[in-house]
Amino acid sequence: MGHPILAPVESETCQLTLENLSRFPEGSELLSCIQCGACAGTCPYGDVMDYPPRRMIAMMRAGLLEKVFASDSLLSCVACYACMAKCPRGIRLTEVLLPLMKEQTLTHLPELPAELQRALQSTLRYGNPMGEPSRKRAAWVKTAGVPIRILAEDPRPADVLWFVECYTSFYPRGQDNSRATARIFHALGIDFAILGNEEKCAGECGRLTWEPGLFETLMDYNMAVFQKYRFHRVVTSCPHAHNAFKNRYPALGFNWGLDHTTPFLAGYLAQLKPLLRRKLSYAVTYHDSCCLGRQNEFYDPPRLLLQTIPGVKLVEMVHNRVNSICCGGGGGGMWLDTYFKAKGYERLSERRVKEAVATGADVLAVSCPYEVPRFEDALKVLGHDKKMIVRDVTELLAESMEGNP
Amino acid sequence: MHDSVRVGVYVCHCGRNIEGTIDVREVAEYAATLPGVALARDYRYMCSDPGQELIRQDIRDQDLNRVVVAACSPCLHEKTFRHVLEQAGLNPYFFQMVNIREHASWVHEDRRAATVKAKDLIRAAVRRVRLHRPLERRQVSIHPDVLVVGGGIAGIHAALTLANSGKHVYLVEREPTIGGHMAQFDKTFPTLDCAACILTPKMTAVKMHPKITLWTLSEVARVEGYVGNYQVTVRRKPRYVLEDVCIGCLECIEACVYKQAKVPDAFNVGLSKRKPVYIPFPQAVPQVVVIDPETCIEFKSGRCKKTCVEVCADRKAIDFHQQEELKTIDVGAIILATGFQVFDGRRLPYYGYGAYPNVYTALEVERLVNAAGPTAGEIVMRDGRRPRSVGIVHCVGSRDVHTNAYCSRVCCMYSLKLAHLIKERTSAEVYNFYIDIRAPGKGFEEFYNRVAEEGTYLVRGKVADVYPADHDGRLMLQVEDTLLGMVRKIPVDMVVLATGLEPQADAQQVRRLFNISCSTEGFFLERHPKLAPVSTFTEGIFLAGCCQGPKDIPDSVAQAGAAAGEALALIDAGSIELEPNTAHVLAEACSGCKTCVPMCPYQAISFNETEKKAQINEVLCKGCGTCVAACPSGSIQQNLFEDDEIFEEIAGVLEYA
Ligand SMILES: Cc1cc2nc3c(=O)[nH]c(=O)nc-3n(C[C@H](O)[C@H](O)[C@H](O)COP(=O)(O)OP(=O)(O)OC[C@H]3O[C@@H](n4cnc5c(N)ncnc54)[C@H](O)[C@@H]3O)c2cc1C
Repeated sequence: MGHPILAPVESETCQLTLENLSRFPEGSELLSCIQCGACAGTCPYGDVMDYPPRRMIAMMRAGLLEKVFASDSLLSCVACYACMAKCPRGIRLTEVLLPLMKEQTLTHLPELPAELQRALQSTLRYGNPMGEPSRKRAAWVKTAGVPIRILAEDPRPADVLWFVECYTSFYPRGQDNSRATARIFHALGIDFAILGNEEKCAGECGRLTWEPGLFETLMDYNMAVFQKYRFHRVVTSCPHAHNAFKNRYPALGFNWGLDHTTPFLAGYLAQLKPLLRRKLSYAVTYHDSCCLGRQNEFYDPPRLLLQTIPGVKLVEMVHNRVNSICCGGGGGGMWLDTYFKAKGYERLSERRVKEAVATGADVLAVSCPYEVPRFEDALKVLGHDKKMIVRDVTELLAESMEGNP
Repeated sequence: MHDSVRVGVYVCHCGRNIEGTIDVREVAEYAATLPGVALARDYRYMCSDPGQELIRQDIRDQDLNRVVVAACSPCLHEKTFRHVLEQAGLNPYFFQMVNIREHASWVHEDRRAATVKAKDLIRAAVRRVRLHRPLERRQVSIHPDVLVVGGGIAGIHAALTLANSGKHVYLVEREPTIGGHMAQFDKTFPTLDCAACILTPKMTAVKMHPKITLWTLSEVARVEGYVGNYQVTVRRKPRYVLEDVCIGCLECIEACVYKQAKVPDAFNVGLSKRKPVYIPFPQAVPQVVVIDPETCIEFKSGRCKKTCVEVCADRKAIDFHQQEELKTIDVGAIILATGFQVFDGRRLPYYGYGAYPNVYTALEVERLVNAAGPTAGEIVMRDGRRPRSVGIVHCVGSRDVHTNAYCSRVCCMYSLKLAHLIKERTSAEVYNFYIDIRAPGKGFEEFYNRVAEEGTYLVRGKVADVYPADHDGRLMLQVEDTLLGMVRKIPVDMVVLATGLEPQADAQQVRRLFNISCSTEGFFLERHPKLAPVSTFTEGIFLAGCCQGPKDIPDSVAQAGAAAGEALALIDAGSIELEPNTAHVLAEACSGCKTCVPMCPYQAISFNETEKKAQINEVLCKGCGTCVAACPSGSIQQNLFEDDEIFEEIAGVLEYA
């Protein structure tokens, strides 16, 4: 899992499409499908999808794909990698087949769901799905309480280029995460810098909701910015950006070191430990994000970090690690809530927080910026917001660091 | 010598196998033009009788003294053609085989290029065969005793077959009893015979047989020698009970200072407890208790009251001072029957094994349904309840690239068997969740039919998720019923994982010990999947049962019989000819640096201290060439692979036509 796909062969003339799929190894892989249904059985929306991956492949082999596109139920694919993780044939469903199918499904729709359309347009225009002005991207920096170097202002080489991403730049609860990260980096003495207003969304969701044009524009843009500066590695707070850098950007020459904040910080466990002085008497349950967990198998680093915080008691949800249930935000799900609601689909964030609440934990810890608003909202809707709070792992670390000189 | 060389080249069509991709006529015509070649022919099947006769005739009529056959792998027919030369009065080593099938026609699509490659390979062979020297095979006698490693049903059957033919057999088993996995089952598919009723008579027969030496708690520590003459060192671990004195009255177990059994019982897969002194199961062979030094108080503190010794009284069967013993035996042939281990269900966390107490493995359920098992045959769960509904999950750790890609072959059938037994004993509703039902054996489809008619629910779909259905320990199985095209959530009391069969954890060590190979999935590799299914690439070492791959009891027994037959054929010949492709030291050039000595995988090289030279025992040498390549002064040569022969071959292949 998680190795770069197609990267070296992909070029303008050699794009992987549904029509030419059979010319790629990913295409013959599909022929090996044994129709076991593990994909449909594990899919969080398997019960509402007219054509979960198994049936999609069967239709494809029978030459009946048009029928599949006529159903819009594939839009409920949240790109959570669950089907791919359990496919006994190792078919790269989430990485290859589903995005291709989704692209077709979207073009067959009379019109794009409005919320999604807006998000994609904003991303194209402003470099973030919220439609916030790009010149305000780095505004949060002033509130961090520690110095943060912006490369455009001070282009000296840095060890770490911290790719902050959108939710963590604009959305207030996302900024909490960024402030916490900045403080931890600072306390650890890491030589880091950010792109500031030059940064734009890495575009991973653009890819999985299949808007390839948009994705490529963003990819070209960010690569050009990266190439202006000198740094050793990229660390990002967003698992989706991490995914894009790991699997797609290498085709354009991305060859810096790469990490997500959580595994990155887990590498500094020994240095962090003495800084975590404040006892947090919380029972914490950790939600494995799809991109960080199933896609990269970073199951232990976040747990290690949490267990290092004095006072924290870690409890597990029924579905954890490879079996974690998606928050519903991936694959464009972030901007399809209204659409799903109209269809009568259960919100996955609600399904997930019910499991979290059942553990009796006080805190639902996360590592992906999408999850904070989704889970906070779900807790509110279900009336559990008094019982449980949502915190990024970095926020908890920073909280335990408070009071340090 | 070169002047008088007359080479005959034969290019085989192998039906369409070679001829379909290579222009054999063109190749033969080309070969005829090569220096030293007296004639070249192409023929449909060189290995057929007329094909062989063709060579014999040409040797006689055309005065050939060297032969090159371009056909399939030398593994298959080198012997055949060497024999042809012999029959025609030539030294069999004036022969070279060229593999233009596996190395050319089967692996290429471009006819032109494959034809050119075949010519290159033949040219190389012709150049080297001209230098071949006559070689003599060496005859060695064969030791008539046989070693069988592993006392499961396969090892037992092989040992009995050989012993019944009058051969002396050493049966080495590492557990305290023989019987293997079969001893743990209650009934066996497809006939539902009682496993103990058919197995224990054979176990007892082993014990009683005058021709079988049974060593339990033993493992092979070292193997030296070669086919017909292996010296094997066996490590016999102490049992702390004298085997020939203990009568199996079991009073010591009763008397043990541990009033309660506290140690997880491996035979019951941890579903019950045993004491430090125990017997694995009532019909264990040998019927002798064993003391586990890890948990026995006397071993831990040296201050036990030793009530076991008291009750054994005058027999004095218990001996806390027993030591490990090393025994060396001479055998002519070895049969490996080390079996399999079951897949560890914890490796697929989404099936909840180890997390939810009511998730079981099939082997655990085999013990539960067994009258001699931890619950005396009652199917009760860890929480003491009897299940009213049971879900059996097929293909756990099989047919899955994340675990084992192969099909474990027996799980479909044992799952149907367990479905039947559970239904019979508890009247529970039983679901079998399968991908495909594989029932290809004799009587298997009928058995499948029978279980289906009994009302077992058969749901086609791979279970995707197992999680608590409520707070009462019930479990939810989430699966797409692929025949209905809908995702179902089925609550059950008990989940049974049909875990697959895997190579033993120490298969790689055992493989190295006996110098054999493993296939990619880690089972021992047979010499040829069709034509030498119980032989290995090491002469005199044979395979039986699941150590070679997953299989059921009928197939294990059949294979064990075949392995015994092969061993008998080898031994009864009385002697064997060894291939002469061995290495030898050119004494005058050897500098005595000893580089080669530790390199030899077969301990064939020794150092002559008086002459300060290395010496190779040609009987032990297997012709691997390691020492030849390692010798810094180039003073080791190998028959059939002499430097000038190899250089000629290389020059030949590089000299483009
Ligand atoms: C749950 C389950 C149910 C089954 N039910 C049936 C059924 O109903 N009918 C059927 O036909 N088949 C059934 N099978 C298949 C059956 O178990 C095998 O076909 C059979 O056990 C193979 O026998 P074996 O002798 O090759 O291996 P094993 O039974 O595994 O025996 C191997 C023996 O070798 C010993 N050994 C291993 N390594 C060494 C070593 N290095 N040195 C010394 N000794 C060693 C082991 O201790 C063991 O005693 C079932 C399998 C499973 C898992």
